[in-house]
Amino acid sequence: MKNVLEFSKKHGIAIITILLFILLTLTTDSFFTERNLRNLLDQQSTILIAASFMTIVIISGNFDISVSSIFVVSPLFALLVENATGNIFLALLAGISIGLAMGAFNAIVVTYFKVNSFIATLATSFMFFGLGYLISDRSLMRPMGDAYQQIARTKFFDITSATWLALVMVIIASIILTRTRFGRNVFATGGNQEAARLAGVNVSRVQAVTFILLGGASALAGIVSSSRAISAQPSDDFSFVFSVLTAVIVGGTSIAGGKGAVWRTVAAAFFLAFMSNGFNLNQIDPLWQRIILGLVIVIAVAIDSWSQRKNV
Amino acid sequence: MEKRSNNIKTFISFDKVSKSFGATNALIDCSVDFEAGKIHALVGENGAGKSTLGKLILGVHKHDSGAIKIDGNEVTFSSPKESVNQGLVGISQELSLLPDRTVVDNIAIGRETTFGPFVSSKKTLEKVLSVMKKYDLYIDPNRIVGTLSVADQQKVEILRALNTNARLIVFDEPTARLASHQAEQLHNLVRSLAESGTTIIYISHFLEEVLKISDTISLLRNGLKVRTEPTSKETKKSLIEGMTGKDAGSLFPKKPKIDPNSDTLLKVKNLTRKNEFHDISFEIKKGEILGIAGLVGSGRSELAHAIYGNSLPDSGSVEFCGKEFIVKDTAKSIDSGMAMVPESRREQGLILERSLLENTSLPYLKKFSSWIYGLNKPQEYDEVDDSCMTTMVKHSGLEKEVQFLSGGNQQKVLFARAAMGKPKLLIADEPTRGVDIGAKQIIYELISQLSKVGEAVLLISSEVEEIIGVAHRALVMSRGQIVVELKGSQITKNAIMEAAFKQE
Repeated sequence: MKNVLEFSKKHGIAIITILLFILLTLTTDSFFTERNLRNLLDQQSTILIAASFMTIVIISGNFDISVSSIFVVSPLFALLVENATGNIFLALLAGISIGLAMGAFNAIVVTYFKVNSFIATLATSFMFFGLGYLISDRSLMRPMGDAYQQIARTKFFDITSATWLALVMVIIASIILTRTRFGRNVFATGGNQEAARLAGVNVSRVQAVTFILLGGASALAGIVSSSRAISAQPSDDFSFVFSVLTAVIVGGTSIAGGKGAVWRTVAAAFFLAFMSNGFNLNQIDPLWQRIILGLVIVIAVAIDSWSQRKNV
Repeated sequence: MEKRSNNIKTFISFDKVSKSFGATNALIDCSVDFEAGKIHALVGENGAGKSTLGKLILGVHKHDSGAIKIDGNEVTFSSPKESVNQGLVGISQELSLLPDRTVVDNIAIGRETTFGPFVSSKKTLEKVLSVMKKYDLYIDPNRIVGTLSVADQQKVEILRALNTNARLIVFDEPTARLASHQAEQLHNLVRSLAESGTTIIYISHFLEEVLKISDTISLLRNGLKVRTEPTSKETKKSLIEGMTGKDAGSLFPKKPKIDPNSDTLLKVKNLTRKNEFHDISFEIKKGEILGIAGLVGSGRSELAHAIYGNSLPDSGSVEFCGKEFIVKDTAKSIDSGMAMVPESRREQGLILERSLLENTSLPYLKKFSSWIYGLNKPQEYDEVDDSCMTTMVKHSGLEKEVQFLSGGNQQKVLFARAAMGKPKLLIADEPTRGVDIGAKQIIYELISQLSKVGEAVLLISSEVEEIIGVAHRALVMSRGQIVVELKGSQITKNAIMEAAFKQE
């Protein structure tokens, strides 16, 4: 009995997600259909790409709000290059590079100037959003050729390339965190910065790398999203980062740093997706959807802090 | 003040009382009588059960079996409030005062004289003043508690206890945070409380203090009461032997011999870091244990951090293994063969929420890491297991989080970490702070073993006995400078203390 309790405490989010999956399968006709599930995976791909690397940033003890702005700006720059050269690979390279560069800028502000990461990335968000208007000349941008839309839409084994990209990024993030020296240093840095430094960990470098990786991942997510929409447009829209953060936090990765896992974020992303999918299939008023979603987040975080207290 | 009659009466007695926390037996079949108006001291190592005994009386914990009797009647306390109502109060090391409120508010808290729902400030003050007068213990009632010295704050706590008509006061390490003359004052107060009939249970690590102040001493070891004797029958030596179950002399291992021809390992010359330490020069040979003594704030730890690369020296030079060593960062120092056991294991040493495995291997992951395969976990596991074995870490699995280990074992994990790198120089800053005598002994053994294999140790310690017992040579620091260097038999308590307190 004690083991069951221990197991469910540790894997709570995965268990709940599976239960929700079963519940929806049994109660609705259209949930467990190939089409619906494939759509779900495709829709979640952009969030998963960014959220798995956001998990790493949060474990290292930081926050990154600028994910939204990188998500908006990178595809604009990619399309700028695509329009100019017609080369899809150069476009991809440019889009990802500008994401990495913006991540590096965040890294400098946070690790060199020691600005609190929440404030720093909120401020850089505005800069990046502005850059987006500059690049696009304040207008909607479209790809010249057909190749750009294939980035997210090509199908392998009936599954979109967006989904495959998400899978690859999740696996990479997971391996980085659990199987490399860098991953250990991330946990050490988030768990106890002073102790990590005295154990020879270059704390600033570790944190800087986490920001740069997330910058790249956010850029990829933005490109996938624009490829799916066959267009990109500048905006000041912060909503993407909140979906990403919701997945990470509901998954149980501690915002205090030092604790968490990519699989948790993935499970939570699906939990949230199943929930909103279930709402739609059961035709629940969107008004109530929000209220329930908010409630679920509160409950998830409360359970997490409650179980931690019982632990010690 | 009423005087008690001469025939001594047992106030509270324990009859075969046991208490366990999970698998740990904190107190086993303990029988002891506490006599009214006497000072009864409890001594023992950390974890011997003395604080548990105090907390049973104060209703913090509930005993599992046996009986606790007050004036011959059996009682069970399920909350601290019930104990307080019986007149049983505790004064602990950490004070529980409201720092922003006045003295009178703190003393009268929960016992204000009221008129309907309103507190009558005047009557409350009168009552507090009468208590102060009765025990001849005056503190300005309108002062804000946070502005008082630690010693006066403690008096406020004692007055609060007296204001509840305490019949028994449990003092748990009351002098740990006091300067010596303040401790003296507290002793006088405790004695006068006992004379006026209050029963005192006095828990302390300081054996001299216990011998000076108490009437009776009970000795505990591993949850068992060893003996209860009148204080006149005990000595410091007999207490230490009773606490550890071993000879007092065996706490420190024999110092290893230094080969007079061995090379200089570390040479520090004119090292300076502004506002921390100034013009420091010394050498350590291979196989040598060099102690650095001095008061907290004398620049000892700062010096260690500047050699280890956690901060950079402003001027001066360091030579390590015969070559010039430019201090850059901790990673470089570790790669060159230094290791550090930092001063505070919880704040500077361990990542508490991570496993024993990850904590031990953290500085040396390079050994198990390659670009293509990532970490070689089986090899890492084996080496960490080995290292924990040599340093005698008691654990129930390398995957367990270190926060669940005891203080002594956490400290040993830091030694296991250092041992993994087979360092040439070990910097140990207060390596035995807050660990019990058993763990201390193992740590001293480890320090001397490291130096046995041709390495050197820089031992920083506030415990003079530790420096005397372990180091070959000692430097005493005061105000950021080395005041004196002591060798061999020159290292005495007096010599160290004199130098440490030396004023410029």
